[in-house]
Amino acid sequence: MKGQRAAAPRPSRVRARSAAIGAFVVLAATVPAAASAAGTQEVDAELRYVCALPSGRQPVGVRVSAAFPDRVEAGEAISPVDVTTTVELPADAVADLTALEAATARAATRLTVGVAQDEAAAEATWHGAAEPAALPGAGPLTLTATGDVPSVTGRSDGDLTFSAGNLAVDLELGAADGTAAGPGTLTLDCSPAEDTPKDGLLATVRVGTDTAGPSGSPSPSGSAPKAPAPSSGTPGAPQDRQGDRAPKAAGDPPGAAADRDAPPCRYDDAHPPTPASLNAYVTGYTNVRKLKGASLLPPSCMLIEQGNPVDGPPDPEYLIFDTASTADFHYEGRKQTPPFESTFLTFGFTPVTATMVLEQTGPITIDSRIKMRWSDFRTITDTYVRAPLVLRVTALEVNGTPLDVGPGCRTETSLTSADPDPANHPGDHLVLYGRGEQDLGLPATGYLLLSGGSLSGETTVPAFTGCDAGGENLDRLLTASVSGPGNLLKQVQGQTCSIANPVFGDEFNAPQCTRDLQPYVIPVPER
Amino acid sequence: MKKTLRRAAVVAGAATAAFALTLSPASAAPSTVWTVTPTGSYTATNVGNIVLTATIPMTCTTSSASGGMASTTGNPATVATINAINFGTSGAPCTSVLGNVTTTAVTPWTVVAQDYTASTGVTKGYIGNVKANVTAGACKFTVTGKATSTYTNSTGILAVSSVSGDLAVSSNPAPVNCGAVVTTATKPVFKGNYAIKASNGVTPAIVGSNP
Repeated sequence: MKGQRAAAPRPSRVRARSAAIGAFVVLAATVPAAASAAGTQEVDAELRYVCALPSGRQPVGVRVSAAFPDRVEAGEAISPVDVTTTVELPADAVADLTALEAATARAATRLTVGVAQDEAAAEATWHGAAEPAALPGAGPLTLTATGDVPSVTGRSDGDLTFSAGNLAVDLELGAADGTAAGPGTLTLDCSPAEDTPKDGLLATVRVGTDTAGPSGSPSPSGSAPKAPAPSSGTPGAPQDRQGDRAPKAAGDPPGAAADRDAPPCRYDDAHPPTPASLNAYVTGYTNVRKLKGASLLPPSCMLIEQGNPVDGPPDPEYLIFDTASTADFHYEGRKQTPPFESTFLTFGFTPVTATMVLEQTGPITIDSRIKMRWSDFRTITDTYVRAPLVLRVTALEVNGTPLDVGPGCRTETSLTSADPDPANHPGDHLVLYGRGEQDLGLPATGYLLLSGGSLSGETTVPAFTGCDAGGENLDRLLTASVSGPGNLLKQVQGQTCSIANPVFGDEFNAPQCTRDLQPYVIPVPER
Repeated sequence: MKKTLRRAAVVAGAATAAFALTLSPASAAPSTVWTVTPTGSYTATNVGNIVLTATIPMTCTTSSASGGMASTTGNPATVATINAINFGTSGAPCTSVLGNVTTTAVTPWTVVAQDYTASTGVTKGYIGNVKANVTAGACKFTVTGKATSTYTNSTGILAVSSVSGDLAVSSNPAPVNCGAVVTTATKPVFKGNYAIKASNGVTPAIVGSNP
């Protein structure tokens, strides 16, 4: 059974409304990156398997859930996330294990996933690991394994399918006293039952631009930044970027960014790079003061044009240079962040999850001033990032069921900050500040545009508008709950990748770019 | 305008110092026979931070070099070649207030001896044939020239302390995307100390004489 969670029944209006009314209280910034974002298909497939147990072959229920993109461009990696493999051992199978005097079982799963596009096919292995589970005296046992899985790239246009194949379940058996039980480990080899639904089909991802993204025509292979050559198989075949990933993933050479926990961040035909082009990820927390909590912005791609330093104002004490750079968020061809979620508890302790994006309403400017003091050559770089950003709410989920907020639910204006130079920077925008400094002969520290670092600021969230749930206006509710001044931000920018001067890394230089010219560094948010 | 004057003053001050240096060794006949012990390969490791200043300073906490040494004659005389020299490591990049800086040397460079003082065991000279490509983000420029330096036999330290005018920013290729910070008028300065070890682990000695 393959189901879309979005098909869950809608709540009655009365219930949704009562659950949503009242002051929000932040539960926590639990933010699985863009898990239920627009353009994502969440798959929850119930499959039937037959496994070889000590007492013979037995039917076993297996459930595979994961989030896939609805579509990607040709050459763009598909990275399934939130992958969970659940194995439901029937009572007879559990009895086989207890007969070995096992009291606990720790499962590791290896699911063979067939990937096919037209005539081309490939296989990937999805690894999962489960926490140790106590074996029940009687009855079935459910083992839930999670893990990262390799990304897959379709080299040409056309639907790409993922299907579950053979499954191996490695069981580490423990006795009640903590020692190994029976043989210690037992591997159950499982194959799909003949009647497993849809032959194990998990998901179909459209590759290509039939659905017309804003970036226009598909890039022919070999265009712009080069993707690594396929590791094996026929040209045009789907490519398993990491193959059998296992624990050695950490030592993998810097390759494509696609297999990492960040959205793609590269220039393309629709956004061609210039000699001054950089890209970088930024991530961090924004406090929502009224809610006494924080919201996490997941790693978001920025395309940056590095400005040329010019002479600053004359100063008897300092040599001054000013640099004006510009930047844009870049997510699926649009100037916005990826969708991100925050979960709240309503007045009645009903969890409410908001999915949001920050959308640019104009260019982001990055103004840096280098000041070198003549007396001791101490150098300081102060950087102000000014970003006109509207906060858009794309979805609200009340107690697990979606509440439609309509297509136009957003703040009336950009998030705002007090600007240190309002005369030269009119209009509503967010301001973030970072300082880098260097004493002569010592390494530079702090925030510098090229190498990244921590930026901080404070913002006012404007009133919301356009938030309509089937005739119920939610503007005042959201405004009362969220809008207001004094919200602190701390965003961490990673090392930039210079497209013209890429540093792939070696013994003497830390990598700055992946081979396909995406930022190598994915920053970690800081509190 | 004031700043321009200030910059000029700094350059002039450095030039005066260089002039003074070139005058000082006039007391003895210049060496023409250079004896290096041992000869053969060597390695060099920085002692303290290395600073390359191209208007604004850049700091490298790690730098190493390797090459070969040989006895020779003449003045100036190349007593060693630098076949490889690296700046920074993957864990400790060179930094400036522009951001991380990548410096790639175009080798070989040379170690040139000009003046030897027997009483101190100090050889004065320069690192020659210097060429390095430097990038900081989209800013890229090439440094060429020489770097005044001294080698002290008792410590095995090669002290690089270039003076304004030793090094230049290449006009071909000219700097790109560096704006006013690095131009072809910029006078880079390279400073730092390296400990030299011969392949057998001993500290090499350079002795100049005039038979």
